[in-house]
Amino acid sequence: MVDLSQYLPILLFLFIALGLSALFVFLPMGVSRLTGAHNPDAEKLSEYECGFPAFEDPRSQFDVRFYLIAILFIVFDLEAAFLFPWAVSLDLTGWPGWITMMIFLGELAVGLAYAWKVGALEWD
Amino acid sequence: MIQTLAFYLFAVLVTASATMVILSRNPVHSVLWLILSFFNAAGLMVLVGAEFIALLLVIVYVGAVAVLFLFVVMMLDIDFSELRAGFMKNFPIGVAIAVVLLTELVLGIGAYRAGALQLGAPTGDAVPIPGRGNIDSLGAVLYTDYLFLFEAAGIILLVAMVGAIVLTHREQKATRGHQNIGKQVRRNPDEATVMKQPEVGAGVEL
Amino acid sequence: MTDFFQNTLGMSYEFAWFTATIAGILLIALPLMLAVAMIIYVDRKVWAAIALRRGPNVVGPFGLLQSFADGLKVFLQETIIPSAANKGLFLIAPIVTFTVALLAWAVIPFGPEAVLADINIGLLYVLAISSLGVYGVVVSGWASNSKYPFFSAMRAAAQMISYEVSIGFILICVILYAGSSNLNTIIVAQIGHGFGLVNAFAFNLLLFPMWVMFLISSLAETARAPFDLTEAESELVAGYQTEYSSMSFALFWLGEYANVLLMAALNAILFFGGWLPPLNIDLIPWFDIPGFIWLFAKIFFFFFVFSWVKATVPRFRYDQLMRLGWKVFLPLSLAFVVLTSGWLMLTRYG
Repeated sequence: MVDLSQYLPILLFLFIALGLSALFVFLPMGVSRLTGAHNPDAEKLSEYECGFPAFEDPRSQFDVRFYLIAILFIVFDLEAAFLFPWAVSLDLTGWPGWITMMIFLGELAVGLAYAWKVGALEWD
Repeated sequence: MIQTLAFYLFAVLVTASATMVILSRNPVHSVLWLILSFFNAAGLMVLVGAEFIALLLVIVYVGAVAVLFLFVVMMLDIDFSELRAGFMKNFPIGVAIAVVLLTELVLGIGAYRAGALQLGAPTGDAVPIPGRGNIDSLGAVLYTDYLFLFEAAGIILLVAMVGAIVLTHREQKATRGHQNIGKQVRRNPDEATVMKQPEVGAGVEL
Repeated sequence: MTDFFQNTLGMSYEFAWFTATIAGILLIALPLMLAVAMIIYVDRKVWAAIALRRGPNVVGPFGLLQSFADGLKVFLQETIIPSAANKGLFLIAPIVTFTVALLAWAVIPFGPEAVLADINIGLLYVLAISSLGVYGVVVSGWASNSKYPFFSAMRAAAQMISYEVSIGFILICVILYAGSSNLNTIIVAQIGHGFGLVNAFAFNLLLFPMWVMFLISSLAETARAPFDLTEAESELVAGYQTEYSSMSFALFWLGEYANVLLMAALNAILFFGGWLPPLNIDLIPWFDIPGFIWLFAKIFFFFFVFSWVKATVPRFRYDQLMRLGWKVFLPLSLAFVVLTSGWLMLTRYG
């Protein structure tokens, strides 16, 4: 059974870290109102550009290769996720477990080789 | 006591953020609510003692799948007025799907009240190994008893990878000179440069 | 620490545990922020020394108080929220970045007993939390609603996930050798690992290449030079921080340096014996020195290496970065998972 008392400190840590960083963000906003540093105007609040309004919406369409990288990442991340329990239980599963994993890795190596061959990993 | 409190905290946050996923108008906000929902679901998993599954949920869903969602949603040019214009046209289909889902939900609750289903008898294979974490126990079962399913998962991942490449990859020739690092490293001063000592007043012939 | 509160101060067990845990959390979080302030100073000093400059030397003796002066200045500045920005998300992004950077330290062991959350799968926890770091960057880039931050966010996301893949496989190799993913067990497994003399995994022929790759990947994962394409100032102004000001700007820096320290700590813990002394001989009272001093010394050494690299290596191009991640590190780390596990099957489990 999992020792939940080891996870409670993480939850407490999460609350404290959240509080601390929220304090860091919101406290200076209050302080700047008190000190008079808070003095916004239209030019100051415009986005960073070369002195004139942006011509087009900054959130534009992007190169499809970024999607491809994200999908490949999901596949390899899942593969790594399968490797973690295998790595700690190798003494229990022995040679059959090892061979199983080698076949699994072989399947994904084929995928990697295919991605490489068709040039999905090229950036230029 | 703390366990109960934590359960209600996570459960309320999961439901609330899941509701926000469908209620928020901006799709990017939806994805971010979805991430919060995954995160709290991981907290629930820890509470039932499945620590490995909980972290897997964070690593795979929050760390990988949601990044892809965010990429897709952020970079799609979604025209909201056009979306609303299609509302009336797609309304009957939407209603039909909603009715189907509602029926399933009602049937599901009815089935739950009818009693538990016997999906299979526990054989005692998946008993936690004393002195080891549940990640070890999971590994001990997954790579021996269920290795066929595991290899099938590998094949599915391979198909997913190939499919994604086929769908998104466009053959394009390099516009600039392509860097060949192997070739650059193999170059040495002897074949790349020539030493000349021209006489005074004479030019160099290359 | 629970014992101390329970026996010395006469509290009930629950209350003593709670006080001890809160004290432990503050003992990690507050010194960490102090360490980040000092390490920024160290970074600038090392960088200056390599470039034959003086670096910060005005505020306080040897300029030691420079970071605190900067902090105070930034604290008193105005927080500018661009009118085009998505206000809520714009303010949440630095909070997420900093929270995630702090949270990963919950499982780092500072000594045999000195660990806040001694969980079975500590290494996976670190991997999971560091994979959340992408969100602070992506959300800030998107919420700013400005060109440069958006480009930077996309670059950062693709870069981080690319190197996370090989980091995952490298961690598998370490777990294979240690037989567990608990960080303390991994450290203990390193006692006398190198020739029965050195307390480090890095002196193993199969793990040494993994360490080199991990060091380079940790530079890329934290977007340090030479992989700092996310804030390449010649192309992207200040990257995803362009629209930020005041303390929310500083939080990105604090978070970034806290992550750099975390990566230095992971290098020390996974490959150089963490809180163990470097050598497994007890000639001088080597083991009597508290573990956290060894750990801090190792973290400091790795941070020095990071600064050194930053000062000497020119920035990568984006295609070179992707090539290194996907075509060099990924196949190599995969091959080493096969080699390491095969070797262990033959020698240990076979």
